[in-house]
Amino acid sequence: MTHTDPRDGGYAVATHGLSKRYGRESALERVDLRVPEEAVYVLVGVNGAGKSTLFKVLMNLERPDAGTAEVFGLDTGSAGPEVRVQVGYVPERQDAPYRSMTCARLLQHAAAFYPDWDHAYADHLIRALGVRLERRVGGLSKGETRRLQLVLALAYRPALLLLDEPTEGLDPVVRRRALALLAEHLADAPTTVLISTHHIDELESLADHVGVLRDGRLVAQMPREELQRTVRSYWLEVPDGWEAPVELQPTGLQRSSAGRDVRCTLVGEERDVSQRLAAAGARVRQVTKLALEDAALAFLPEDPS
Amino acid sequence: MTTAPAFQPADRRTRSTRPRVPRLGSVLREQVRATGFALRGAALIATALLALLTLWVALQSVSRDVGITLNAWPTQVPGIIGALLPIAVWARDERFGPGFLWTLPVDRRRHALTKALAGWVWLMGGVALFVLWLLALTSATGGRALPPETLHLVTSQVTTAGPLDPAALRAVRWTPGPLIWVIPFTAATATYLLASALVLGSRHPLRWVIGTVLAYLLSSVATEVAGAGLRVGWLEDAPERLLRPLIYGRYGLDALLTARIESLGASATLATGEQTTVWWGVPQLADWRIATLLWTSAGLLALWAAASRHRERRRA
Repeated sequence: MTHTDPRDGGYAVATHGLSKRYGRESALERVDLRVPEEAVYVLVGVNGAGKSTLFKVLMNLERPDAGTAEVFGLDTGSAGPEVRVQVGYVPERQDAPYRSMTCARLLQHAAAFYPDWDHAYADHLIRALGVRLERRVGGLSKGETRRLQLVLALAYRPALLLLDEPTEGLDPVVRRRALALLAEHLADAPTTVLISTHHIDELESLADHVGVLRDGRLVAQMPREELQRTVRSYWLEVPDGWEAPVELQPTGLQRSSAGRDVRCTLVGEERDVSQRLAAAGARVRQVTKLALEDAALAFLPEDPS
Repeated sequence: MTTAPAFQPADRRTRSTRPRVPRLGSVLREQVRATGFALRGAALIATALLALLTLWVALQSVSRDVGITLNAWPTQVPGIIGALLPIAVWARDERFGPGFLWTLPVDRRRHALTKALAGWVWLMGGVALFVLWLLALTSATGGRALPPETLHLVTSQVTTAGPLDPAALRAVRWTPGPLIWVIPFTAATATYLLASALVLGSRHPLRWVIGTVLAYLLSSVATEVAGAGLRVGWLEDAPERLLRPLIYGRYGLDALLTARIESLGASATLATGEQTTVWWGVPQLADWRIATLLWTSAGLLALWAAASRHRERRRA
């Protein structure tokens, strides 16, 4: 289920039939991602769903087995440097490079590669995130490394941020501060964000598009409003032995039963779904709007195995 | 208070042009700086070794009151340093996989070659310091750099078995030219290129080195056993005979590293009981030039191929 409405006429990120395998394991399978320009696109998926692989392909750190990827219309495989200079990347891994360097030296090193490095903004980020410049990179904790990675990704004000679980390892205080910085960053310059996270709730105020990766497949992508409008929780009263209509079953995502009461999360316009349920013999007692996280998680299996 | 400190942004920025990628000159300058930083440890160890050697020579010089003459010049040391340096240059980079180096906005192959070039800049600096150290040491101890040598050439019909008849030796006066000072630099360059290719092009370079040595040893043993068993003389030392030209041949590794000074001369006992260094030929700089050309070209090609393993690919 993919619905996107490109604003300003373009996509910051677009992939076409992107596939990647590691041996027999399929990490990505015919993924057609569409991230509109200036959107905050939240990518959701369980561990191993292919989120990090997708980010690596966009950075041309991994080569896809099939398909192509574009960032601002540039093919990531053939225009790697031109793509990467526009991308701020926070990798999933929390091990910073060049462990013998101090944070200051590493930032100086990175700055040399970005002609648009904004030193004043970098200083602001350093202060805001509490990065201690004199510390050796090798001696940083996971959270400190993450903070340093955030400075490295934001300091040249890239047009696209690829943030792979950026708040992982941060304490609650710094996590909130990092999100405030991200909001400030978005307000200050036109920026597209593709972010993967297991904490969707903390992006409730920022996200405007959501994509769900499941076993390497992009099973859903749509604007946030559409997601919350079309994925809803239905409380039904059903006869004994009732089964959901076949046409709803592929999207009859989660279901819990208690006697003749059934609660399930279904995808579709509410009126249409209600009519189908009624036609199948169920009485809709209540329809509830879901929080962003619940709506997105509805596409994921309750049993990860 | 958990929000970020206030920053004074200007009006919301616009993005009218695509950001620029860094100039290659800037990348090289930064890689020279960063590689220098990475080589600090190795430089400290080298400095400590040279300091110890200086101390030892000084003590020898004072106690025996003798000077040092560099008549065994050039040494293989710069070549060995060149072969080891790439390990230090690339030690902090994740060469295969999503390493930080590859996330930077520089064409990957070009970036790898630039980093290798940065290491080479430091190598040349190190070799220059090494040569200066040798000259300073020679000067300080009253010796002479590259004094004219009298080489005792062995005539071709003499075999090496048993003591040598002094009559079979012919004295030849040899004066090494100033060009010989270039050898440490070219030797270090060629070995650096080849070793860089190995480090950059393979995930496990050490395994390749150990595997090659083991393969050589095993094949030597196997052919020796097989040759003896089958009574096939040529089979017994086949691996050694195959390898020998590569190391001691006219354009072999020794020609590259020392202009064959190491392999053409050897210590021998004369029939008179005297020990002396005898020579099977006069070192020829023409051979060194060709060997340098061949090995350096091979190194450059290998390095290009190794760097190409990291190329962006799918270039339109």
